[in-house]
Amino acid sequence: MALDVGKFIKAPEYDVKIISRRDVFQASVCEEDRFSDECLELSALIVLDAAEMKRMGIQDGANVRLTSKWGSVVVRARASPREEQKGLGFMVNGPWVNALVSDEAPDGIPAFKDIEAKITISKDGITGIQELHLL
Amino acid sequence: MTEPITWTCTGCALLCEDILVYIKDNRVEKVEHACLKGKARVYGCKHTAMSTVDQEEVDINNAIIQAAEILEKASNPSLYGWSNSTSEAQVAGIELAQTLGACIDSTSSFCQGITINEIMNGSIPSCTLEDVREKADVVIYWGADPMSSHPRHLSRYSYFPRGELRQRGYEEDRTAICIDVTESRTAKMCKGMFFRIPPGGDAEFMRALMDGLAGRVPKLSYDFDVKRILELAAVLKKAEFGVIFAGLGLVYSIKEEFDLISEFMSTLNRFSNFFLIPMAGHFNMRGFNHNLHKKTGFIHRLGFTKNGPVSGVEYSVLEQLKHGADAVMVVGSDPLASLPLSITKRLKDIPLILVDPCANLTSRVADVTIPCVASGIEVGGTAVRLDGKNMDISPLIQGDGLSDEMVIRRIMEEVN
Amino acid sequence: MAFAVALLSRTKQYTECPPLMEEEQYIDSRQKLETILKPLEGAEETGLIIHEELCSGCGNCVVACPVNVANDPYGSGRGFGPTNGKVIFRVENGKVKAANIEECRRFGKDRILCRACIDPCPTEAIEFV
Repeated sequence: MALDVGKFIKAPEYDVKIISRRDVFQASVCEEDRFSDECLELSALIVLDAAEMKRMGIQDGANVRLTSKWGSVVVRARASPREEQKGLGFMVNGPWVNALVSDEAPDGIPAFKDIEAKITISKDGITGIQELHLL
Repeated sequence: MTEPITWTCTGCALLCEDILVYIKDNRVEKVEHACLKGKARVYGCKHTAMSTVDQEEVDINNAIIQAAEILEKASNPSLYGWSNSTSEAQVAGIELAQTLGACIDSTSSFCQGITINEIMNGSIPSCTLEDVREKADVVIYWGADPMSSHPRHLSRYSYFPRGELRQRGYEEDRTAICIDVTESRTAKMCKGMFFRIPPGGDAEFMRALMDGLAGRVPKLSYDFDVKRILELAAVLKKAEFGVIFAGLGLVYSIKEEFDLISEFMSTLNRFSNFFLIPMAGHFNMRGFNHNLHKKTGFIHRLGFTKNGPVSGVEYSVLEQLKHGADAVMVVGSDPLASLPLSITKRLKDIPLILVDPCANLTSRVADVTIPCVASGIEVGGTAVRLDGKNMDISPLIQGDGLSDEMVIRRIMEEVN
Repeated sequence: MAFAVALLSRTKQYTECPPLMEEEQYIDSRQKLETILKPLEGAEETGLIIHEELCSGCGNCVVACPVNVANDPYGSGRGFGPTNGKVIFRVENGKVKAANIEECRRFGKDRILCRACIDPCPTEAIEFV
């Protein structure tokens, strides 16, 4: 029997600074139905620079685990159609990115656009809205 | 086809007043001119909120009585949300907070409140969207991506339309500039005028621009072609009527030295004629600031204390959710989706009331949920557009439920 | 060659070529043509295709289209939704729809390669094929 070496090797982890933003398509489907598959598909998503993804060995559409000091979620990784700055990841405002945001907000404004996290390829499924609830 | 109703859209704080809605049998049949966000708003949510206590369906009166009991019993209740409510409901909410001696805050607390405050106290010059359409020749989207957040912003006001002084079309008459960390959909509209800065690089970029305006060579700690900054400064200097649309990208990046914005505007206006408009998101976020200010002199983060109304970060929704409040009522918002989970997880441990037309993440954990009809759809009123203009909103269809204002007034009756 | 030109300007369909449709030796060519010409399906006379799934209903094209501006100067031209039926672009249920295609600058004998609706589209929802 062939040994599945991959099982014993931990997927490499990389630093990513996540910036949350808006998306009209996500906003409209989530307004219609926050619990729909479409809302999940457009929200549980991180967009990264294509070359950076290649360097990290992450394929377009692959599941990745994002872990910050405050939480951990699995979302889909997508290559940006345009060049992005190295080390940045973009997520649409919603419960998935909010699972990673710090609870420290001394000025009353959370760091929605300055989230330090680790990114790694994941074999887990995308974190469902129910799971988020249990976090 | 039936005659359409002209409607003011509550999909975002642009409050587009040219929407045509076709109604048949008290249902929306078709909507014209509204963007995708507006369309979603008109048609409403699929899962409406139920009237519940402890997640069990109850008569709405029981839910209202239970909500009143929770708020009365609490020693530090907090009322939060309000940006998706008409001004009339906001005023009722402020009165309820005063009656209860509660804290009250809106989404503006972690959004554009800081900018709106500076505009309202006169530190930052602002103008109306009509001014932008009729006069603006230079517009800057700074840390803002209206093509993703306020889809009709460019087509209705800031770039594409012909205006009184801008008759020849956008290619000749207007220059659109985008300063952002990513080449957004809006940046794509600003051909050759997109300035990509590193995250948190806004203050430095602003100072570099001020150097450029004053004829000094700009210095930056990050790699940026100084020539382009000087070219941009030259464009700004020549502007007849310039407008900066400040997005959250700018606000969050510069919040610790926010005075820099008014300093930048003053410097700019030594050479030119510039105004700033905050990119408020929800349809009546700015209305809450105006309404609370009228009543208390403060725009948000307010506590009705024994010594009268006081504003401060300790009364902000974030601090209240983290450790201040011992009961929370949310009106027209979904904090479990839109605020950090690290903070909202405490909502499961304290009594939580939700007043909303739709089921959402918060309704799934709330101790009491009270459905209300959607503002701007089944109930009219007034709202304040992102530039501060008062707008009338007339209802589209006949609803048989209570409005959020009525729910709050009913709670108040129970409390009294 | 004349047939190829007619095919591209869409005055003729590839199905109008008998050998291509009937003779076995051209099966490969026929399949290739089908693939190449697939995007033309659903295109207007001018080659206009609106990818509705990409459209956010922003109305940039409604206000930027020179025909919309000329035919509805105080409506579309001023940034409002169209106020008459003479315009090419209007937004319905959050998606742009095209009508009056014969008014388009890309239509007819004196056509020009106008891009006034393509360039202002933030989501590449408008295409001419």
